[in-house]
Amino acid sequence: MLLELENVMAGYGSGPNILKGLSLRVEQGQIHCIIGPNGAGKSTLLKVICGLLRPREGTLVFKGEAIDGLRTDQVLKKGISFVPQDRSLFPDMTVKENLRMGGYILKDRGRVEARIEKIVEMFPILKERSSQQAKTLSGGEQQMLATGRALVLEPELIMLDEPSMGLAPKIAQQIFESIEQLNDEGMTIILVEQNARKGLECASWGHVLDLGTHRFEGPADTILNDPRIQELYLGKRRQNHQEGQA
Amino acid sequence: MTLTEALQVLLLGITLGGVYALMASGLTLVFGVMRIVNIAHASLMIVAAYISFQAFKLYDLDPILSIFITIPVMFLFGAGLYKLLFARLPSDARFGELTVLLTFSLALIVEGVLGYFFTNTYRSSNPSYATDAISFDTLYLPRGQFYATLISVGLILLLWAFLQFTRTGNAIRATMQNPTAAQVVGVNVERMSMIAFGLGTGLGGAAGAMMSFLFTFYPGKHWEWVAILLSLIVLGGMGSLLGALVGSFVLTISAAYVSYFFGPTWSPLTFFLALFVILLVRPQGMFGKKMEAA
Repeated sequence: MLLELENVMAGYGSGPNILKGLSLRVEQGQIHCIIGPNGAGKSTLLKVICGLLRPREGTLVFKGEAIDGLRTDQVLKKGISFVPQDRSLFPDMTVKENLRMGGYILKDRGRVEARIEKIVEMFPILKERSSQQAKTLSGGEQQMLATGRALVLEPELIMLDEPSMGLAPKIAQQIFESIEQLNDEGMTIILVEQNARKGLECASWGHVLDLGTHRFEGPADTILNDPRIQELYLGKRRQNHQEGQA
Repeated sequence: MTLTEALQVLLLGITLGGVYALMASGLTLVFGVMRIVNIAHASLMIVAAYISFQAFKLYDLDPILSIFITIPVMFLFGAGLYKLLFARLPSDARFGELTVLLTFSLALIVEGVLGYFFTNTYRSSNPSYATDAISFDTLYLPRGQFYATLISVGLILLLWAFLQFTRTGNAIRATMQNPTAAQVVGVNVERMSMIAFGLGTGLGGAAGAMMSFLFTFYPGKHWEWVAILLSLIVLGGMGSLLGALVGSFVLTISAAYVSYFFGPTWSPLTFFLALFVILLVRPQGMFGKKMEAA
């Protein structure tokens, strides 16, 4: 197992637990898609893994090492990168500067520049926009930049929170394709998707979260066709809504 | 008003602008990085003014050179204050209210302590250049103001270069633009906040040294100053260094003209009138960004 979470409890400030004893395993080389209704704790889970939020209880083990309680920069050094939901760019910095910030924790500037060269090969539009401010990019370009920035550290595990949010279907499709491409290169991926159908189609393994716990999991195509899920999480209304989105 | 007079007033305004910009830059930096409106900023400037004043009185140390003392001392003081008072706050839901109350009470405490040690007597250092002027043709430049503005603008440029070209500076800028994104790439936001608070206070330290010979001061004087500084950074756009610089020059030049036409008692009105107008017309200021509803 690449990453193992055991009985994790976490919440914000002095608020209630959002994650209520969640256990989850992530296997190397897979695309894991996490779905579940709003408030299930999907984003919170990712924040706990990358060290933005400290778990109150439970353990997180990455490649046999405990990572709970580490700061984000320490988690990054272990090989886990995170692309948050709002794409979290530095709006007044250029595309290039944003990518360079991705290598902030590396002392070796040459390595950072070499990595950036590779990343702009993967997302050619970023090369074209290289000296433009991040805030001038379209939604899809911003997502590519945020993903590219997370790749500068050559992570073993990359976590993406709702990468297709607010994107036109064609653009979203490109994003999912680039996720698959990264996976082909050997990267393990955790994908949180509101658009469960799309997410599961891209993934190899699916997890269903509800009310802060891990309800069940299975091969992505099975989850997608599981009648329980159809009813619980992809209910008629929801499904229509999502197809409207897609 | 003749052309010569108009130029003279302009010169007087410009030579004050740099100093005001230096004062405002520390305040705007702290706001930009931490979203803290440091109401105690001017009281910390007064602390530095007393350090500079005492060093001049006791050891004959030139007030301008005293920035080599006031900057590091106030930097450490600011960083320490941050650790002590603010480090734990960002996770609190009422962060905004708390920081206002906290910096307000800090200002009161600083004022009280200064009053205890230095009494409420008006003070001002009088190095030779404080009363001297450089004259060319029909115009003159007050030497003290001229030096102070040159040094102030120099310090602001140094700060800008630091933010633009160093690794730590980039991390501070990243934190200003998007704290979550900064954390995600591995910036230790708490550490950057401490450094930024230290830098802001350190700049206040330099400003205090200038203040010690340009203006009279006493412990309670900081209320007037902080009100003016807030109007400067609101005009420029809170958190924008360029805004603080441009806002300062615009307002000190305007105030110089107001003072010429209506008398010096009216010049502070310029700042507050500008504050009203800018809040009505363009609340985010000249170079500020609209704040997303938190």
